[in-house]
Amino acid sequence: MSAEENPAAEPAPVIDVQGDGRWMSQHNRFVQECKDAEPDVLFVGDSMVQLMQQHEVWRELFSPLHALNFGVSGDTTCNVLWRLQNGELDNIRPKVVVLWVGTNNHEHTADQVAGGILAIAQLLLSRLPKAKIIVLGLLPRGEFPNPLREKNAAVNNLLRASLPRLGPVQFIDVGGNFVHSDGTISSRDMFDFLHLSAGAYRTMSTTLHELLLQLLEETPQERRASLV
Amino acid sequence: MSEDSNPAATPTPCEDIQGDGRWMSLHNRFVSDSKGKEPDVLFVGDSLVQLLHEFEVWRKLFSPLHALNFGVGGDATHHVLWRLMNGELDYISPKVVVLWVGTNNHGHTPEQICGGIMAIINVIHQKLPHAHTLVLGLLPRGKSPNPLRARNASVNDLVQAEVASLSHASFLDMDPGFIQSDGSIAHQDMYDYLHLTPRAYQRVCQPLHERIRSLLDKHAP
Repeated sequence: MSAEENPAAEPAPVIDVQGDGRWMSQHNRFVQECKDAEPDVLFVGDSMVQLMQQHEVWRELFSPLHALNFGVSGDTTCNVLWRLQNGELDNIRPKVVVLWVGTNNHEHTADQVAGGILAIAQLLLSRLPKAKIIVLGLLPRGEFPNPLREKNAAVNNLLRASLPRLGPVQFIDVGGNFVHSDGTISSRDMFDFLHLSAGAYRTMSTTLHELLLQLLEETPQERRASLV
Repeated sequence: MSEDSNPAATPTPCEDIQGDGRWMSLHNRFVSDSKGKEPDVLFVGDSLVQLLHEFEVWRKLFSPLHALNFGVGGDATHHVLWRLMNGELDYISPKVVVLWVGTNNHGHTPEQICGGIMAIINVIHQKLPHAHTLVLGLLPRGKSPNPLRARNASVNDLVQAEVASLSHASFLDMDPGFIQSDGSIAHQDMYDYLHLTPRAYQRVCQPLHERIRSLLDKHAP
């Protein structure tokens, strides 16, 4: 599905409707961080990524890996695509990129959302040919079974099948344990039935952290070579 | 300003546009949570209230005060009004209600937002005649000076003036000085120039905690 056919793969900034320009401020800050920092790991996506940085687990597990967090609450695949094409990949050479986006694509079908995520993965691979990509699956949401759970699961199934064909891209589903046998999600795991509590972040971060350590170990030390 | 002419003071539930019914789930959970609990303090408002519950500062400063948290991200005054009129105050008798809402009232004037906040104070007073409502001032927002900062400051001025004549309500300015000398707000305080980092919450919650403690002490027989 090309960008012309798939609206979820069309880069688009967020228009400042509220009046305080916060989205662009955050984007500009990330572009500046690219000039100052040399991250080994880049996290990019929506509020699921952004909020992670506000919890202890970020400082404990991911800061030591020299990770940058380019999450923006509310972002769709279109917004992330735009940000990455407009400066947020300039001057950095992360070894691993963690991508977590798609749950806010309310106007798009599961096919379109998966296509949007694929487009982002393709962009990352073309801009960072030596990087490995981890795509996190969309989590279930809502207290009870609802259409968005089905949609997110459908996106995950499409990604599971198509992502590995792109190259060094892995799909990780961290949502396995959130839906209980009665079909409900607990507010202890998702305080608003969408966003993760500190405890839930800690649980999923352990898996992700182990995978990152593996991938970082496998990647040769490029930086030494480039300084010569 | 009558309720009919002020959208910010017209109780309105949030429409489930996204399709997972989360707003109503949260409201229902707050109503059922309140049955069988006896909080001394109730926090109600938007995401600034809701996210407070997710950080260590809640456990350290507010759990010991027997506090409940009825914050919902995105809520404006008319949403909070609806929630409080539809069950969230029916089963509890807190001594202090902490109200923090207004920054999401997009499209409303400061006068309308103030009217919304006063309507909420009224409802709380009707349902809980012995409770004291502590209204928290709206924080500045945005990285650089912008119209919403002016709007929020106007709301604070209006609310502070109206509340001055009430014995069952008072106002607390929550801004410890987030706006730096160059007019900017640091992302170390507001990671998205709206929501508070854990360290900023620590800063604003100290005075809030002290104020609540003194209100509780006054309330004691």
